[in-house]
Amino acid sequence: MKVSINWLNELVDLKLPWDEVLALIPLRTIGIKEESHDFIELDMKGYNRADLLSMRGVAYEIAAITDSEVTFTEPDPGSFAWADKNLPEVSVSVEDPNLAPFYCIAKISGLKVESSPTEWVKKLEDSGIRSINNVADITNLVMLEYGQPSHAFDNADIADETLIVRTAREGETLTTLDGKTRKLTRADLLITDPIKAVGLAGVMGGKDSEVKENTSSILLEVAVFDPISIRKTAQTHNLPSEASKRFQHGLTKVRALQALDALLKMYEGIGGTIEAISITDNLKEETKKITLNKDRVNSLIGIDIKADDISSYLEKLNFRLTKTSDSWEVEVPYFRLDTEIEEDLIEEVARMYGYERIPAKPLEGDLPEKINQEIFELIYKIKTGLVKAGLTEVQTYSFYSTKTINDLQLTVSDLVKVANPISSETEYLKTHLWPNLVETIAKNKKQGFEDIAVFEIGKTYQLTKSGEIQEEYKLSVALMNGTDNPTQELYQILTGISELKENVKLGEPIGESDGRFHPVRYHYLTDRENPIGKIGEVHPRVTDKFGIGKRVAILEVLLAPLL
Amino acid sequence: MEEQISQVRKDYLNKISGANSLKELDDIFLDLFGKSGEITLLPKEFSKLSPEEKQKIGPLFNQVKTELESAVEKKRGEVREAGYAKLSGEQSSIGEAVDIKPRKGRLHPITKLEQETIELFGKLGFQQVDAPHIDSDKLNFELLNIPEGHPARDLWDTFYLDPVNLGPQSGKMLLRTHTSNAQIRAMKELKTPIRVMNIGRCFRYENLDARHEHTFDQFELIYIDKHVNMTNLQFLSEYFLKSIFGLDIKVRMIPKYYPFVEPGAAVEGECIFCKGKGCKVCGKGWLELTGAGMIHPTVLKNGGIDPNVYSGIAWGFGIYRIALLKYGVPDVRLFNSGNLNFLENFS
Repeated sequence: MKVSINWLNELVDLKLPWDEVLALIPLRTIGIKEESHDFIELDMKGYNRADLLSMRGVAYEIAAITDSEVTFTEPDPGSFAWADKNLPEVSVSVEDPNLAPFYCIAKISGLKVESSPTEWVKKLEDSGIRSINNVADITNLVMLEYGQPSHAFDNADIADETLIVRTAREGETLTTLDGKTRKLTRADLLITDPIKAVGLAGVMGGKDSEVKENTSSILLEVAVFDPISIRKTAQTHNLPSEASKRFQHGLTKVRALQALDALLKMYEGIGGTIEAISITDNLKEETKKITLNKDRVNSLIGIDIKADDISSYLEKLNFRLTKTSDSWEVEVPYFRLDTEIEEDLIEEVARMYGYERIPAKPLEGDLPEKINQEIFELIYKIKTGLVKAGLTEVQTYSFYSTKTINDLQLTVSDLVKVANPISSETEYLKTHLWPNLVETIAKNKKQGFEDIAVFEIGKTYQLTKSGEIQEEYKLSVALMNGTDNPTQELYQILTGISELKENVKLGEPIGESDGRFHPVRYHYLTDRENPIGKIGEVHPRVTDKFGIGKRVAILEVLLAPLL
Repeated sequence: MEEQISQVRKDYLNKISGANSLKELDDIFLDLFGKSGEITLLPKEFSKLSPEEKQKIGPLFNQVKTELESAVEKKRGEVREAGYAKLSGEQSSIGEAVDIKPRKGRLHPITKLEQETIELFGKLGFQQVDAPHIDSDKLNFELLNIPEGHPARDLWDTFYLDPVNLGPQSGKMLLRTHTSNAQIRAMKELKTPIRVMNIGRCFRYENLDARHEHTFDQFELIYIDKHVNMTNLQFLSEYFLKSIFGLDIKVRMIPKYYPFVEPGAAVEGECIFCKGKGCKVCGKGWLELTGAGMIHPTVLKNGGIDPNVYSGIAWGFGIYRIALLKYGVPDVRLFNSGNLNFLENFS
């Protein structure tokens, strides 16, 4: 959310200098992603504070943390632009009220499309939105102030002046405002007229019905859509928009009505006349009430905050409190959709008190029972043993590179596959550690290393016959020592590691393998006669493909059997 | 000119077919394509030719060039295969005593930092638990209070598995995006009080650059007992950061939203480079170093723990981020690179 500083100053009578406000926002509320002379951008990624997607919400919040007052009041529904006007209805039908629980259309005529006054343009620009024309800009200004998106359809392009909210039909398409024609899915919620689709609900309007230079009459939409449906559509069509962001975070009927009122008054202000209005309301909104216990507040924060301070913090944030013996009945302001449970209120108290003022206290209580950590101890002992023996630990990706898959001629259907890889380099998970060590040797040889002794301990990902995934800790060592038989030294290194020499023995030769190993120098490693790994020389055909040109020995063993 | 080219072709095809070693082939290759190789020099004489001749000679020259190149490559393959055929005659001799060369071994810097962290928290009674790298959507997200369709999912760009070769019972599987997938397991499997740590690989759908990795390590503590509170959280943060970055580092919490904790916090340390004055690395004097919070009551319930009796802390950090800062590493990709020039800096 880009917050225009000028605009914020219109909405809050700030009692602190701006630099102090700036320092306070991350301490009390949310991180600042970017700041300039004209705006601050709040870091909303993944955040749950829907209220901070509106200037009014931000104003309430900043007033609370700076002990200032907002300059506006909540409008009285009796003064709404359509109250006592007895306007006719617009023809609207909502197929599934669950997907559009609140849906309102107002018909406004007598408009003249012009460029917006400079004051509007500046507000929009500071907020990161480009000015289009007065009719379209009004929808964006109101969205920014109230957090409620709206959309203006050119009435001339809507058949029968009738709007229908329904999901898309198989094969239906829509050209959106950005000029792209989109193939719709059955999950997409649409705004249509009796003939055609005119907008992707909550995400983007249609090109054909956009406000144009000669537009004089509009159908103005203010709605609350199902957040999950909107999120899905925005993702399917890769269309994250200012509007869809707000629908996803959740909207309220109270604000939607206020926004509608503000919109209508602004359109009247540029010469428009409200001709008709229809409000389809299936949204039940009740004031949330949460019991807050004083002892619970202090036991979770760990300090002693006075009852008066607790209630004062919450009241500044527009919560309403009724005191009972050692608790409060707390009414949540309608715009705080994120506040559901007692712990949410405790966070409010903690941040108003100041997280940075919470002192450190050591852990108390009994130590837990011992649990088995042998595998981790073994891994660290083997690592330090190998380092003492002169080897360098490396860590490589959990994936096989395309080169490894090709050069080792791996059968990819045997590998665990990622459905949405970034590229083919992150598509298949490794079943063995050694191939990436051969690649490591190749890379370092190119850098001029002639003697390379490296190891890695990590997990591999095996696919069983029944399609289950087995993760196993393994050790792999790779050695290129310049000799024609590096497996000899590798085996000596192995027998020098105390954690390995007792349990890991040289087993039978494996013989002609799949062409990845030396036909003679390739043996099982066994633990009490059971094969737990292999040791051998990588076939020169493989090392040649990697451009190594020297003999390379590897070993790989499972660690679990060694416990 | 035409004859000259044919002659080169004939001579060298003969030489190539007569070669018996890679060395000989390398020499032949240089004689042809090196700085003053025959093929390299030939086109310098083309300027003397008439346009008609040029039209004829050009394609011929290119054809011969390609033919010779592939002849060398083919012969290299044959020489290699002949060498490979001899391998079966080699001795195994594995198990015969040979000297181990003296070398200087090194632990990976990430292992060093992890071990230091494990030992630190071990002193406070924390023990290590394992958790799978490949996990269900349920344990990585849903049971941690991050339902499908929740905007908080934007915090984790996730690798999902292709169900094509997975069993029908496996459900929606993914590469874990955080060590928090250990939380529910620890709660279900262990008796309270709980003090455990989970360390290891996590994955995110991130394009690689000097500051972003798709494969990285995280560290996470889970601490559940009666009366656990935010002052303990501040204690754990100070305990860790003072030990890693020095006793004089200032440590503070700021509000931060994670769906599986409430209250949620980020832990900041005063910038180790500018000592809080503000610089290129930190901006305004503080570096965000760990993420933490009081475990959300819904998550405790999902783990079978009564939130009216117990409270808990989840506290964690990205090992790579701390390692970058502690060791002054310029590029996060170095950790998984296997680059010995880089790893040799750590003894």
